[in-house]
Order: sequence, then structure tokens, then C-alpha cells
Amino acid sequence: MTEQIHEALSRKYEAGFVSDIESETFMAGLDESVIRRISAMKNEPEWMLEWRLRAYQNWLTMEEPDWAHVQYPKIDYQAISYYSSPKSMKDKPKSLDEVDPELLRVYEKLGIPLYEQEMLAGVAVDVVFDSVSVVTTFREKLKEAGVIFCPISEAIQEYPELVKKYLGTVVPRSDNYFAALNSAVFTDGSFVYIPKGVRCPMELSTYFRINEQNTGQFERTLIIADEGSHVSYLEGCTAPQRDENQLHAAVVELVARDDAQIKYSTVQNWYPGDEDGKGGIYNFVTKRGICHTNAKISWTQVETGSAVTWKYPSCILKGDNSVGEFYSVALTRGRQQADTGTKMIHLGKNTKSTIISKGISAGNSNNTYRGLVHMGPKADGARNFTECDSLLIGDRCGAHTFPYIESRNPTAKVEHEATTSKVGDDQLFLCKQRGLDAEKAVSMIVNGFCKEVFKELPMEFAVEAGKLLEISLEGSVG
Amino acid sequence: MSAWLQQVIDRGQAMNDWLSPVRMKALEELATTAWPTRRTERWKYTSLSAVEQLELSTTASATHASVERISGLDSLDLVFVDGVLQTDLAMLQLPAGLQIHSLHSAPAVQQVIATSMFSQIKPRHHLFGLVNDALASDIVFIDIENGHAIEPAIRIINQSTADHESHQRVLVRLGNQAKATIIEQAEGEQSSLSTSYSEFDLGDQAQLDHYRFAMQTQQAIAIGGCHFCLHDAAALNSTLIGYGSELSRTDIDIIHNGEHAKAKLNAIYLLAESEHFDLHTTIEHAKPNGTTEENVRGIVGDKANAVFNGRIHIHRDAQKTLAELNNRNLLLSRRGQINTKPELEIYADDVQCAHGATVAEIEEEALYYLRSRGIPRSKALVMLNYGFIQELINQMPNQQLAQWLEPQLRARFKEMEVR
Repeated sequence: MTEQIHEALSRKYEAGFVSDIESETFMAGLDESVIRRISAMKNEPEWMLEWRLRAYQNWLTMEEPDWAHVQYPKIDYQAISYYSSPKSMKDKPKSLDEVDPELLRVYEKLGIPLYEQEMLAGVAVDVVFDSVSVVTTFREKLKEAGVIFCPISEAIQEYPELVKKYLGTVVPRSDNYFAALNSAVFTDGSFVYIPKGVRCPMELSTYFRINEQNTGQFERTLIIADEGSHVSYLEGCTAPQRDENQLHAAVVELVARDDAQIKYSTVQNWYPGDEDGKGGIYNFVTKRGICHTNAKISWTQVETGSAVTWKYPSCILKGDNSVGEFYSVALTRGRQQADTGTKMIHLGKNTKSTIISKGISAGNSNNTYRGLVHMGPKADGARNFTECDSLLIGDRCGAHTFPYIESRNPTAKVEHEATTSKVGDDQLFLCKQRGLDAEKAVSMIVNGFCKEVFKELPMEFAVEAGKLLEISLEGSVG
Repeated sequence: MSAWLQQVIDRGQAMNDWLSPVRMKALEELATTAWPTRRTERWKYTSLSAVEQLELSTTASATHASVERISGLDSLDLVFVDGVLQTDLAMLQLPAGLQIHSLHSAPAVQQVIATSMFSQIKPRHHLFGLVNDALASDIVFIDIENGHAIEPAIRIINQSTADHESHQRVLVRLGNQAKATIIEQAEGEQSSLSTSYSEFDLGDQAQLDHYRFAMQTQQAIAIGGCHFCLHDAAALNSTLIGYGSELSRTDIDIIHNGEHAKAKLNAIYLLAESEHFDLHTTIEHAKPNGTTEENVRGIVGDKANAVFNGRIHIHRDAQKTLAELNNRNLLLSRRGQINTKPELEIYADDVQCAHGATVAEIEEEALYYLRSRGIPRSKALVMLNYGFIQELINQMPNQQLAQWLEPQLRARFKEMEVR
């Protein structure tokens, strides 16, 4: 068994490679002039630059949070380069045929050929290759429905009123250390606007790639679902292998106006570092959505990558009868550390939230659920149900649960349950007796353990997530 | 650093007895400890601003304590008023196997045992525990020899009077296979500050039934803790009942330092008016095969504020641990607050751990049922509230105590009623 664990731990990262696309990269370091340059490169209006500079001033006064159950060497923010863009951007590709063939090969290696996705899956892909969106498909089709789906840098140019109105309203500039940093230096990301009463005709998807060495990746995503609209958004990530730790501090803001619904799904498989935990991605993300009356936001995440994860997709249930959901599978192995969970802030009457979190720890990893359920004084009849289950594989890992519950309203009801278990010998025995090998059996048991979350994922993602888990777990039990 | 803490340090330096080396260590730590704010995780929901500038008399008042007997209970009473022991230890009729000494009367052998225990079980991160280390003067040592079962309950009563600051400390050692019942009871409602800490060392197969009634209310500021170290196959059954006050904080630590130890902790908090009550419990499973069962129930009325933090920590090699924590809360009023956080920190895979927490109000249907049978609302509420905690009261090993408590708790529910 020990051998197999060892083998599993030494498995090479399958998406690990560096592609040779020329890129334009800033020198490492951060000061006001860097922010001015980023803003100038993107031809941003004055208000945007001002917004960034104010965020930078906020950031300077803040301290890096240290309360999470994770340990990592201190980050030198002056050693990071804050801008990198593929060179081939200069003459923008009009269609996929014009896209740098090297870039297309990268995606092929990852098993996500754009053609196929375009043709078969009917998914519009806004590819973020490093920091600049390279290609956006299906734009026209979306335009017909009135949906805006474009890089946020473009939205700042073309829809400044919308961006100005909503940017920073859910995650304020000074929300936390990493959000402030992102607000100051974000390079690109996605912008989605679904007009009143529109059901987005397809699932929107962005594949994130981190590519340039030593480049912090600071995406900014803003999704606005206007009254009565509906959208499902998919986000997936992989990254090439490298030695230096990479900081990733994204911000995602969701606005669900009255009767709107947003479903946000993530599969995250960034480089987790080598056997000693060296070189993996630091994933310090702020994701938050606000629900107005009768609105619903649903976060689903499958987290298998990154060396250190610090991520709490949250819902502010401001409007009466609004609904927040959080479904999460977090798998850690090797030396990975994950501190993840959600915040459900119930402000309106009859608001409801459900939290299902499944943590799987293997190897020498640590997996933490940290969540907050807050029932405000006006949240009459509000309900929350939370279930956090942890599964430990091997005796060198850790599984932790820190749920904060704050209630200010007697008519609100909060329920929290958490359990910890291991893959049972009797379960394994039963499977083996029926001719399954241990590996298959474990994979099956773990899949069952995560089923409640997987069923929330869109079909393509559910398949990918199941595969990812299987690959990550191979050999960890004998 | 707060003005109050500064004068604690000044006063601590003047203490001169055989515990001075330990006291000095505590003072050194205090001098470098930052005064907790709302950003300090352990004090996130409890403000210490009431303590910061506190100036109270530190000489004990002359008032003599009147202590009510608990009917049907055979007990040895140790009475403290403002941290000063009023009971004449020499006059106590002690059964065989039991010794009780104070700091001033302890013989050399007891001094050695006491020094080895003092502040060893209580974790060093309790700020007010360090204050207590530095300033507690009438420390009482209770020593139960191997194999002795002590029949009478040992009851420690701690009264605080108006405008006084006091620090009270108890050390208890149960030898191997020893058995005892210990009751810690705190009273006081006038403006005062008391810190009260006790440390318990349970030898192999020792059994302790422990009760702590933290019943200071109103203006009394009460901060304290109970800290238990369990050796092989030791069994602890502890019951805590807490009322809130201006500021009431209790820290309970149970350390499984031997295998096959069993800990059962039942806690109840009942808060009225604008009282504040904060309970932090930590269960450390440092050795394999331990069992912990923790049940915490709270009822919060009016403008009261309850804080509960229940941590279970399973160390790397503590395999085959069974640990369960259950926290249930009733919030009776729109102006009340409940903040609860059950925590699990697990580093061993072959364990069974679970925790649960709920916050809700009294079921309207249950209330309707009782009222439809002619029971007035206020009486029905008391019935339902009492029903909520009765399960834990019934689990108290000593039923004389349960009977003594019942009318007090029912009266308490009347106070908690929201009009």
C-alpha cells in the first residue's frame, strides 16, 4: 500500500508543459506607474485608472490575512510581473483559422479542442490565455439574444455604463487584501450581461490558462443577470508545470437581479506543486454574488489543483425569497492545502441556503472547510442547511471544519452537520469480493461520496470532474 | 496593553511565595501578549472593553459568606469570598485518602506535586488564566490518593461582592483508580471581576464527576476555566450550567493524555436580559482509543448574546477515536444573538468524528398544542424550555443536585421570558 501511495504521490502533472508563444511581459514589481501602464496598455478611460489607483492605495494599508489553516512562504509582491499578453494579439484573429496554431495545440493537449467544442457542445468559449482574451466564439449568436459575453477589457470600452454601475458593488475595492490587489492590477477576465427576461441560449464557458513564468494572474469576472434572466457559466482551469510559485488572485462578482438565476460552475486543476509541495499555484480567490428578490445563485466547484487554495464563493441574500447554494468537492493530496467554503449572508425574508461540502484528503495534505452562515435581524423565516463531510485517505493527512454560525433572528433556522470518516475496510472488502480491484473500488466509493455535488454540475463538467478525481486518486489506496 | 493589564503586572511582581517562579513566567508572557480585540479569534464575539479600564478594590471584603446547604447532599464545603478562603481547613473532617491544603499550609511534598501541576494542564493561551497564575493567592490543592473513592462531594463555592476584583484557583489530583465528585459554584451579581480557574489531573482509571455552576449574573464579570488531563482509562463526566452577566466567559479544555479515556461534557447556558455568555471548549485527543461525547444546549432570551466555540482536535496518532459534539440553541427574541462554531481538526484517518449545530426558535406547533389544552403561554414556554434542557439535567450522575437545580432553573426561565 505504501508503495502505491508513493507512486500516486509521485505522479507527474498531466497538464504540465510550457508552450512557446512569444509574450510581452512587464518587469517584476508593483507601484503606481505599473498600474498606469496596465491601464494605458488597455486604453482605459480615466475613471477606470482612478478606480485602480484607489484600490492600490487601499491595498497598501492592508495586511495579508493569516487566519486560514494554510502555510506558505511569504509572497514577495515586488517579485511578480503584473502584465503579460500573448504577442500574437496584435493582429487579432478574426476566426479560429487565424489563431496561433501553437495555442490551438496547447488546447489539444489538454483535450479541449475548440472546433469540437464549437461544433458539438454548443459552448461559447472565451479563452483567457494568460491575461488577454484571445478568441471569443459564438459572439454573434449570443448577440442575437442580446447577451453580452466579452473580455472585461472590451466591456470597459464598449459598455462603460454597465461596468461602472456594477464593478466593485459586490466585492468592494477594499474587501480584502487579495481583492484590493486584484482591483488595482487586474488585466482581464470575462464580462457577461443577460438582459431582462432572457434565458441565455447556451452555457457560457471560459478556460483559464496560466502560461507565462512568474506572472501573477489577476482575472476579474463580472456577471450581471438582469431581472428574470437565466445564465449558466462554466469555468475550468489547468496550468503548465513550473518551479516558481504563482500567485493567482481572481475576483468574481455576480449580480442576480429580481427573479434572475445564475449558476456558476468551476473545475479547478491548477498545478499543485511537486512531491515536496514546491512550485504549485497559490489560488487566493474572492467570489461573491448578490441575490435580489426571488433570485438564485448557485456555486458548484470541484477543486483538485493548486498548492494553496483560499477560496470562499459566497452569496449575499439581500432580496426576499432569494436562494443561495454551494456545492463543493475539494480534493487535496501530496502537500496541497485547501481552506475553502462559503458565506451565506441572509438579509431578506424567507431566504434559503444550502451548503454541501465534500472534502477528500490524501497524502500529506490538509483540507479545511470554513464557512459562515449569518442570519440578519430582518431574515424572518430564513433557512439554512449545511452538510460537510470529510474523507481521509491515509494517516498523514488532515481534515478540518470551521463553520461559523451567527443568528440574530429567532424565526430563522440553521442546521449544520459534519462528519469525518475513512474509506471503510468493509466497503473495500465488499467491492473486492465482487471482483473490483482496490483502486477501482476506492474511485467508486469516492465518486459515491461526491455524488450529491456532481449531480449539480452541467453534464460535460460532471464527466470531466469524475475523471479528474479518478486520476488524482489513482493508487492512493492499496 | 490595557491599563488594567498593566496594573495586574505591577501587582503580580509583588507576589512573593513558593510559586513565584511560575508566577514570573506568567507575567513575562502577559507583558508580551497583545490585548484581545474583536479581531482576535478567541474573542471575536466577546468585547473586553468593560475590563480594559477597570479599577476595583483588590483587598477582600470583610463580609462573611452564607452558604445554602443542598438538601440530601453530603458535601465538604470550601467557601471563597472575593478569592479569599473562608473555610478553616483544619476544622474539616476529611475521609481517608483525601487531603486538602491551601497555598499557605501545604507541606513540602504537596508543594512539589502542586508546582508540577500548577499551570501545566491549563493551556498557556488563556490570557486571564495567566492573570490568575500571577495573582491567585488562596490556591487550594485537593489530593485524592490512589484507589480511594471519596464519598462526600467536594463543593467549592466562590462568591464575589460589590466592587471587588478576585482571583481564585483550585488544583485537583485524582490518583489511579480514585473516585470523587467535585462541584464548583460561583455566585455574585454586583459589579465585580473574578477569575476562577481549576486544573484536574485524573490518574489511570480515575473517575471524576464534575459540576460547574457559573451562575454570576447582572453586573458581575466572571472569567474562568476548567482544564482536565485524562490518563489511561480515566473517566470524566462534567456538567456545566452557565448564566450570563455583563461578561461571562468559560474555557473548558479536556486533554486525552492516555488511551481509552472517556470524557462526557454536558453544558447548558440560559441567558436573560442583556447578558453575555461565552463558552469555549477544546477537546484534545492526543492518544488513541479515546471517547468524547459533548452536548451543549443554550436558550437565549431578550437582548442576550450567546457565544459557543466547540473544538475537537484529533492528533496525528490518536487512531480509533470516537468524538461527537452536538450544539443546539433556542433563540427566543428578535434582539438576541447566537454565535456558534463547532470545529473539527483531524489528523488521523481511522476515527469517527461528527458535530452538529442548530439554531431555531420554539416550535409554534408545540406551543399551540399546550395552549389549546388551557396552559397559559408563559407557563407553556417554561415547560418547553425546560424540556429542551431536561435531557441533560437527567443525565447528571447526582440527582440530589438535579433536584436542587430544578426550581432555580424554572425561576430562571421566568426571568428569560420575553415580554
